[in-house]
Amino acid sequence: MARRSTESLASRLSPFQKFYLIIVAGFVLGPFIPLIIQSLAFRWAWPDMLPGTWWLEQRGKSMMPLAWDYVLSPYSRIWEATLNTVGIGLAVTVICLAISLPAARVLARERFRGKSAFEFFLSMPLIVPEAAIGIALLMMFIRLDLAGSYFGIIIAHLIPTIPYMVRMLTAVYQGLGRDFEEQAIILGASRWQVLRLVTLPMLLPGVVAGALFTFLVSTNIFLLTFFLGQGKIITLPTLLFSKIAGGTLDASAAGITLIVTLPGIILLIISERFIKEEAFGKGFGN
Amino acid sequence: MRHLLLTGLTAGLVLTGGAAMAIDPEGEAFQKSFLAGDLSWEEVQARAREEGQVNLYYWGGNDNLNVWMDSVVAPAMAGEGITLNAVRITGTKDAVDLVLAEKNAGKMAGAGSVDAIWLNGENFSTLKRQDALFGAFARKLPNAEFIEWDESDPRSLLNLRDFGVPTEGKEMPWSGEQYVCAVNADQVSEADRPWTFEALRTYLEGNPGKFIYTKPPDYEGNTFVQSVVYAFNPDGNGAEPFQQSLDELGAEELARLIEPGMKFLKNLQPLLLGGESGRPRYPEDAASLNGLFLNGEVNFNCKFGLYAVAVGLSTGTYPEAAEQMIFPEGGMIKNKNYLAVPSNTPNPAAAMVFVNYMTSPEAQTSKLQFAGMPAGIDGWKLSDEQAAALAEASPGTVGVTQKELDANVTPDTNATLVDVIEATWLEYIERDSQAPIADIVTRAAGNLSK
Repeated sequence: MARRSTESLASRLSPFQKFYLIIVAGFVLGPFIPLIIQSLAFRWAWPDMLPGTWWLEQRGKSMMPLAWDYVLSPYSRIWEATLNTVGIGLAVTVICLAISLPAARVLARERFRGKSAFEFFLSMPLIVPEAAIGIALLMMFIRLDLAGSYFGIIIAHLIPTIPYMVRMLTAVYQGLGRDFEEQAIILGASRWQVLRLVTLPMLLPGVVAGALFTFLVSTNIFLLTFFLGQGKIITLPTLLFSKIAGGTLDASAAGITLIVTLPGIILLIISERFIKEEAFGKGFGN
Repeated sequence: MRHLLLTGLTAGLVLTGGAAMAIDPEGEAFQKSFLAGDLSWEEVQARAREEGQVNLYYWGGNDNLNVWMDSVVAPAMAGEGITLNAVRITGTKDAVDLVLAEKNAGKMAGAGSVDAIWLNGENFSTLKRQDALFGAFARKLPNAEFIEWDESDPRSLLNLRDFGVPTEGKEMPWSGEQYVCAVNADQVSEADRPWTFEALRTYLEGNPGKFIYTKPPDYEGNTFVQSVVYAFNPDGNGAEPFQQSLDELGAEELARLIEPGMKFLKNLQPLLLGGESGRPRYPEDAASLNGLFLNGEVNFNCKFGLYAVAVGLSTGTYPEAAEQMIFPEGGMIKNKNYLAVPSNTPNPAAAMVFVNYMTSPEAQTSKLQFAGMPAGIDGWKLSDEQAAALAEASPGTVGVTQKELDANVTPDTNATLVDVIEATWLEYIERDSQAPIADIVTRAAGNLSK
């Protein structure tokens, strides 16, 4: 069904629209082409269109691992960085959900004094520059022995993610309304049944979207991780930064850059499928 | 951004001030007895095994060095019962800032998180000034025998002074370096090769835009400016007056000495890469300059790297026709870089065992072989066998001989002057100030002493 509609859409495009699509695709995919070539190069100098010497030609001659051999070896620490990034991202997402779900429920449904001020303060972390937060936290964390620890980084990542998550879930709760839950209670459901069978399924699309977003934000935070990890804890963004800070992109830097884009791409594919078909398709049950 | 970090940290400390001091009494006791020479090396090794870990902070931008660190040093340390935790940082100053921040937060002897830092020059001078170093440990290590400490031998200067600052055994020489320029022999004929800065200017008048140097405050750029200043020293005695500290020399005298060199650099600007359009395109660091050199935008590449050409050819980062050259004649800056141990090292004994291993002939030989980093130990202190192994491991010079390179060396500049010369360059050349150099230097010296 879905495929047929895409096909008919493609045939309906005017030449201008097709041209426009190609341009957009070029902007999105274009940067990857030189990156892929560079990652396979040994020596690639101007004005050559393609590398003068390829990595594979030189591979046997060099005693040191080159290009992808280096990237995929333990020496590049890319696996360590990937595991750290994903692990921290998952922990941040779970904790962030646990904090934001109750908060969003209250914000969406209750009225209390100072609510609007509270909502304003909630978005403060998004306004204050990350560097300022990072320095202040580092000072405190050094005293508390949290600097350079996973726990410290997870706490730091919660700061810019909680405001987004709470806002997203508040909107979902507001859209949800109390009626469904009340109806279930009138029909004799227990609190647990209400939560399990009514509230959660209806919240699910918002929760999934929020969780994916939080995970994506966490895996991309550079400055806070850089400050608080003190170089001891490396994640994909900090690894990439240390590799390309010099301003040149050699073969191993290009390889690492390509790998760093993978979690985002995978997540994007998952969220595309999940949010469109599962969550927004069925979730609200209209 | 780093300056921002440091300022923020200082501000934070003022605000939160008066924290509880943390001291590890055992670590402090070890420090005292080790520095007093009361411990045998076996006792140090035994304590190092108990500590079980050493945290090295080093610049992690060199793939080959990273491979060496993980595949050679880590197993060797494991053999001593120590886990090497090699932390790769993007700038050495990050580690210095970390040590100072921890120290200011009350983490004193034994309670910090850094055991060893690879550094030299300004970073050492900062730690020394802030009293954040472990103490005079270097000569107490067994492998100190491979280093020349005898002041009567002028060659010992490289070990005793780090950018003019007395090392006092508070850091251990680890690698030697020399500022060497590479030339693309495909582009520059043998006859056109400059030997002096004036000859470089003549070459550039015929081939405008084919040269650029790294921009200060990067240390590679600072070193280039220093060698120009030496060459145009109005007294004609090159590096000699620049060995004194700013207090000894005085700002006025410094201004007089550097003025001709600074003027030369200012007048050279229109002939540099991008100079025709009015604004030279100074690269930010050595890696960017490598890129310009590889792509043929410039024909020369000046940086610290005795074996940089051989290594660059083996990693594809240099053009195939790259060769080393003797430039400027008699004025090629040579210095060493070191391993320092901070005062609040959490694993002092392991740090000693680690630094000792790093200066062993085996480690120096494999470092040279893997990463092309010249030895920090002194060749004449080695046995014939050890010296031969070291020579064997060298990636070698390209286009010039080791003897020619050795014959043209000159020392680096006192760390206190480096800052002032750097500030003067930024003001006089980058910001194109029209003020007299004497005023700029005096102002810079005043700002830095605050």
